[in-house]
This record gives sequence, structure tokens and C-alpha cells, in this order.
Amino acid sequence: MDFFELRETGVHEEFRADEAEEPAGRRSYAEVIAARSRIEVTRSTMEEVEFDLVGVDVSIANALRRIMLAEVPTMAIESVYIEENTGVVQDEVLAHRLGLIPLRVDPNDFEELLDPEDATDVNTIVFGLEVKAPINIVAPNARRRIDDPVEDDEVARRPGGHKHTTVVTTKDLKWLPQGDQETFLPEPARPVHDDILITKLRPGQAIGLEAHGCKGIAKDHAKFSPVATASYRMLPRIDLVKPVEGDRATALKNRCPLDVFDIEDIVSDDGPPASRAVVARPRDCTMCRECIRRIDDVPFGDDMADYVKLKRHADFFLFKVETAGQLAPLRIVHDAIAILKAKCDKWRTELELSGGSLSLD
Amino acid sequence: MNAPERHKAYLLEDDEARVEYAKDQKIPNAGLFTIYKEDHTIGNLVRMQLLRDSDVRFAGYKLPHPLEHRCLVKVQTTGAKPKEVFLRSISDLHSEFDYLDRYFREEVLRFKEAT
Ligand code: SF4
Repeated sequence: MDFFELRETGVHEEFRADEAEEPAGRRSYAEVIAARSRIEVTRSTMEEVEFDLVGVDVSIANALRRIMLAEVPTMAIESVYIEENTGVVQDEVLAHRLGLIPLRVDPNDFEELLDPEDATDVNTIVFGLEVKAPINIVAPNARRRIDDPVEDDEVARRPGGHKHTTVVTTKDLKWLPQGDQETFLPEPARPVHDDILITKLRPGQAIGLEAHGCKGIAKDHAKFSPVATASYRMLPRIDLVKPVEGDRATALKNRCPLDVFDIEDIVSDDGPPASRAVVARPRDCTMCRECIRRIDDVPFGDDMADYVKLKRHADFFLFKVETAGQLAPLRIVHDAIAILKAKCDKWRTELELSGGSLSLD
Repeated sequence: MNAPERHKAYLLEDDEARVEYAKDQKIPNAGLFTIYKEDHTIGNLVRMQLLRDSDVRFAGYKLPHPLEHRCLVKVQTTGAKPKEVFLRSISDLHSEFDYLDRYFREEVLRFKEAT
């Protein structure tokens, strides 16, 4: 197993503690992976999932992360047909803002649309946005700013007052089902959130448009990315190479801002009771290196680095995936693995097929 | 105006192969694989997989230009045919992701039951 060791300055070495596995005979890496890798979900909510991926190479962890960021398909608004827009937000800016709205639509229910001319109900979802800001009346969906100190309706209703402003949000986006969409979609298409501000209108201004959404991947445009962020870090490993006892243990515990260490009492029959520091929560460590920093004029400030070694496991990845709302977080991970698998499959078939035409040397 | 088509980054052209192989004319047992519409995600993955193979003497990848969506993988072997070695690596990768896929499904089931 490999580790990366962090010293006071920089990452110093990557060393192999032992390389007992993989004997001379060819055992494919796939079997090695099968034997020692595992996945463990540690936390899963509607928005976020954290899981451990253990026993694989960084390139696999990184490929997984990059696929989640850029190649898992989702649906987003792609073309906007504007009939009327008298608001201050220009057409192209409005269209861009609409594009960025996450939509709760399963991309698996749809096919890819390559040319906007070929739009049909199996590859396009349509939303209508029709808002007219009333003149001199309180707009029905006008919102008061939360921090408004007084309820002076008279002032608020006057031109320039906030009740004169019509707020256009994702709630105003109306799904217009096309063809059989109402039957084949399990639930109506809608934006993930109802309260995303699209634009604001003054009395008399109006917006009328039709927005067409299609399937895409974030390599094309970042709006298709299913994740807010997908990242991994390697599991920290903190070794206490010499026993850290007594006052030094307390000093070490107090130094760590993330409370990685605990103090354990050593009970012995002879001698006075003593205490010892133990590494209790290595997962919380952020590798801030405070515990190995040389600090002057502080008890035990000068040689803590001789006791504590900071390392990272080279094959233990703590993933964290936050969804942007279109897909459930576990689904994103699952899709990403499936995409990688499909890619390998395609190349394999193609290389095998081309075996005849390309000489095999 | 002269912006490249957006779909060029990820969609194969009609007449484009997904992978191409060209034998190296100067170095023995070496060849160049061109994987179209792929980037570092796959380049690094394939390179690492090739380097695990004891038949591989050299493996490296590069993206020739940020606006050209292809990834070049150069392989030199100790004697085996580069294409065979490459194919073996791809198969290995496939079964690795197969395992991961299975482990992930199992784990999700376990997690859902536990909570
Ligand atoms: S590196 Fe920082 S967080 Fe980690 S154990 Fe040391 S002091 Fe604590």
C-alpha cells in the first residue's frame, strides 16, 4: 500500500511500505481490483452523497469524478423563442438565464436532439413563459423585500415602490406537454426549484416566450452538469511514531483545530496514572499541518514533527457529490460508472471489429 | 462566426472512427492509438492501465490541441503486439468498472436497508 507523506514543507515522498501483492505471474489488474476494492456509502441525503472508494488507482477515481462533472447527461433549456420581451433584461441574457435553470426531468426518458429542426416529443420539452406586469396595480406575485422595515402600502404601491415590480420566477414557467409526453413521463416536467428569480418587470412590461429543453452533457455546456460539485480527497493517516504522553499529549490535542486526537488514560498498577494521545478521527483531518509545525516559545513547540507523521492513503478516496437537483446523487454516481463501462465496451467492439482491416502488428 | 461547432467536442463525425491505430514506422513494437472525442478523463485512465501490464515498455498520452478533440496514446511493448495489449487493457478496464458497478449497486442496497 502506498502513502504520501506531508512534512512541514511540501509533500515529501511517496513510499511503498510493502508490495506483497501481484506476483510475477500475470494477474490482471481487474482481478486485483475485484479482490481489494470496495465502496461504502457513508452519508446520503437528497442533495448530497458521501462515499468511500477503496483500493483503486487514482486514475479511476479521477475518471469517475470527471465523468460526473462533465459527461452525465441531463436536460436543460437549449433554445428560447422570444415573442415579446420589453423588460430590461435583453433577450440573449434572458435566454442564458433560462438555460441555467435545473429541470427535474429524467434524461433517460428522452433521446438526444442533434438538430433543433428535428425536435419531437421524444427529444424536446417545452416550457412557456408568459408574464405581463400590470400597470398601477399590485402585481399578484409581487414580493415584499424581507428586510423592509415598515408596511407602508401607500408608499410601496407608488411608482418606484417595490410593489410595482413584478417578479418573474421559475414558478411562472409552464410546462407545455408535447405529443405523448403526458403518458410516458412519470411526472410532469418542472424546474427543480420554484423560486429562482429569472427577471423583474416594471409596470406595463411583458415577456412572452417559449423555451425548448433538450438532453446534453456538460462537456457541451456547463448548464448540463448534474452536480454542483463532485470531489474526492484521500484519507488522511496520522501516525504517532513515538508515544505522545502526558503534557505533550494535551498540547497535541489542543493544537489540532479539528480535534483529531483524543487523550486516553493509561492505567498501570505501578507508577502514577498517565495519559497518551491517540488518533481518534483521522477523517476530520484537513492536513493543515498545525500538529507538525515548529512553533517557538510554546511547550513542545519545537519537536512535535518527530512524534507525528502526516500521511495520506494513496488508494482510499473519500468522495463527495452534491447534486444540482436534476438527478439524485446516487444516481449520478451510478450513471458515471455506467458511462465509463459503456465507453470501454464501444472501443473494445470497434477494435475487435477493425481487427481485419487493420493489420494486427 | 468562426467558433467551432459545440457538438464537435463530444459527438463523432459521420465518417470518424472511435479509435484508430497506426503502427510506428521507426520504433519496433510501438504504435499510436488515436481516441476521438476523448480527453484527460480517458487518456490518463488508459495510460495507467497500460502501465500495469508487464508487456508494456512505454505508455503515454497527450491531447495535441485544446480545440482538437482527440487523445493520442502511444504504446511500446516488450514484444507483444501493441494492439493486443491495448485491447487487453480496455477489457481490463471494462471488467474493473463492471466490478465497481456491482459493488456500488450492492452497497446502495445495503445502505438503503440499513437506513
Ligand atoms: S494536520 Fe491539522 S487537522 Fe490534521 S491532525 Fe494535524 S493539526 Fe489536526
